[in-house]
Amino acid sequence: MDAITVNHLRRLYKSTDGIIKRTTKEVVAVEDVSFEIRQGELFGLLGPNGAGKTTSVKMLTTLLIPSGGSATILGLDVVKDANKVRPRIGFIFGGERGLYWRLSGLDNLRYFASLYYVDEATSKKRIPELLEIVGLKGREREKVEGYSRGMRQRLHIARALLHDPEVLFLDEPTMGLDPVGARELRTTVKNLQSANKTILLTTHYMFEADALCQRIAVINKGKIVALDTPEKLKENVQDLSVVEVELYGIPQEVIERIKALDFVVEVSIENRDQRQVMQVHTPKGPEAIPVLVEHLNGLRIGRIITREPTLEDAYVRLVGGAEQ
Amino acid sequence: MLNRLTTNTRIFFEGAYYSYKALFRWLRPATYLASEVFAPLTMMIFFVYIGAYASGSNSASFYVIGNSLIFAASSGIFGVTMSVGGERWSGTLPYLFGSPANRWAMFVGRAVMHVLNGMLGVFIGLGWGILLFKLDLSHTDPLALLLTILITTFSTSGLGLLMGCLSLITRNVMLVNNTVYFLLLVFSGANIPVGDLPRWMQVISQGLPLTRGVACARTIIDGGSLADVLPLLQVEFLIGVILTILGYFLFKIFEIEAKRMGTLDIF
Repeated sequence: MDAITVNHLRRLYKSTDGIIKRTTKEVVAVEDVSFEIRQGELFGLLGPNGAGKTTSVKMLTTLLIPSGGSATILGLDVVKDANKVRPRIGFIFGGERGLYWRLSGLDNLRYFASLYYVDEATSKKRIPELLEIVGLKGREREKVEGYSRGMRQRLHIARALLHDPEVLFLDEPTMGLDPVGARELRTTVKNLQSANKTILLTTHYMFEADALCQRIAVINKGKIVALDTPEKLKENVQDLSVVEVELYGIPQEVIERIKALDFVVEVSIENRDQRQVMQVHTPKGPEAIPVLVEHLNGLRIGRIITREPTLEDAYVRLVGGAEQ
Repeated sequence: MLNRLTTNTRIFFEGAYYSYKALFRWLRPATYLASEVFAPLTMMIFFVYIGAYASGSNSASFYVIGNSLIFAASSGIFGVTMSVGGERWSGTLPYLFGSPANRWAMFVGRAVMHVLNGMLGVFIGLGWGILLFKLDLSHTDPLALLLTILITTFSTSGLGLLMGCLSLITRNVMLVNNTVYFLLLVFSGANIPVGDLPRWMQVISQGLPLTRGVACARTIIDGGSLADVLPLLQVEFLIGVILTILGYFLFKIFEIEAKRMGTLDIF
């Protein structure tokens, strides 16, 4: 049986403006999303900002009522059976909010354990185990306001696991973490999957999805634009190479000119401190470099390399080369 | 079934304790003294002297008792509302509503600490009255007064629960709270005898919590017995029960509304 089924899920937001003459605007956050997640699967939902990832997760975690479509968790409808769904799922949203900063980590866990009907004996046993798993043992009596961002994020994970849920929703769990913290958290997520939890992970980081997820759905402008294993998604760009050109300032019209070249499939720009890295997807490989350099005439150019495409390149091709 | 009941009782009391500790821990001794001991004193002085000036009477007890009970309303309205609104600021509302916890235990439990705090506020007010305005409690039945304070704090907390529900759909609930609080200052008889108000205002006064509580406290401090005030106290209690039940149902409705509008995590 599938742990999660999503059928044509849709969500609109209404916003009003004006004092006397009120105008109402409708924004489509999720247009049409459908997918299934098998029990024990680690499934990734990837997409740019505003693509509809968090809105989808909120609907699946009973925090938002869909405007259309339906979804089930372990066979239970997320709207009609919300009360039965809640004890069987755990969820975390990225960022530092959602904890009581003036309470200790231990008090946070105790309180949430009671909200999830974890009896006192189980709670006394499980909380130290979870603190051990997320690496907060010894720091649990300190107030959360003194925790680092990574510690807070790990406390979130412990909170989500208090009632031993079968299904976990992790919405950008590594957002804002330093590389070491993010790596530790990824190990925790991997271990959870080994414990047969069904996990829906949303992330911006392609390497993270590539390393963790068995299948990935790419969502853009509220719609699923691709759904497959990381390997299959990468196959979509196997016919291409990526030429990376390091630049120190590139005007928009130059980008547009390069995009218009007949051998260029996609162009994306990544900002790295003072530099930009222009990534050109092309079937020509290194042969494209002289023509590109010609178009970049007059600009300060740094390193130029050609490489094999990654999952990130597949993603960029799917969602368009928006600036990252 | 019994296990569920025990756990809901646990949510009720643990929720009361942890939510107070989590959201009101800024109330360190110094801030507590400033906001709960000295600020009420200045308010009491203001009304005692302005009342004496306006009425020409030198009796301070009318204003001392009225304003002491107002402190209960302050804790009931602002404290309880903040115990829901504070969740929005800390970003914990989605996690509360994503949990299977019984909403009654979670919501009503939050009023417990504020009822206790409100009662303490009344005692502090009466204490200032004894120290500074020669309030005479020698004819007072202490148990009857305690019961009156408890019931009045409960009924104003019911109003706080009702106001707290608004926190689920808006972040600007404090504006409404302030209005309601000032309405109580005028309509409850704390500072102006209800009988001196225009007829239409008297009708509103009778529908509010606190009005009967203030009247009962004055009667008891003047030497009245519990039997004298029992009918009024029963109505005050009933108003508290109605407001709490209304608050609970509004909480349920606004929970659904917040999920429909997507306002649970705006702050």
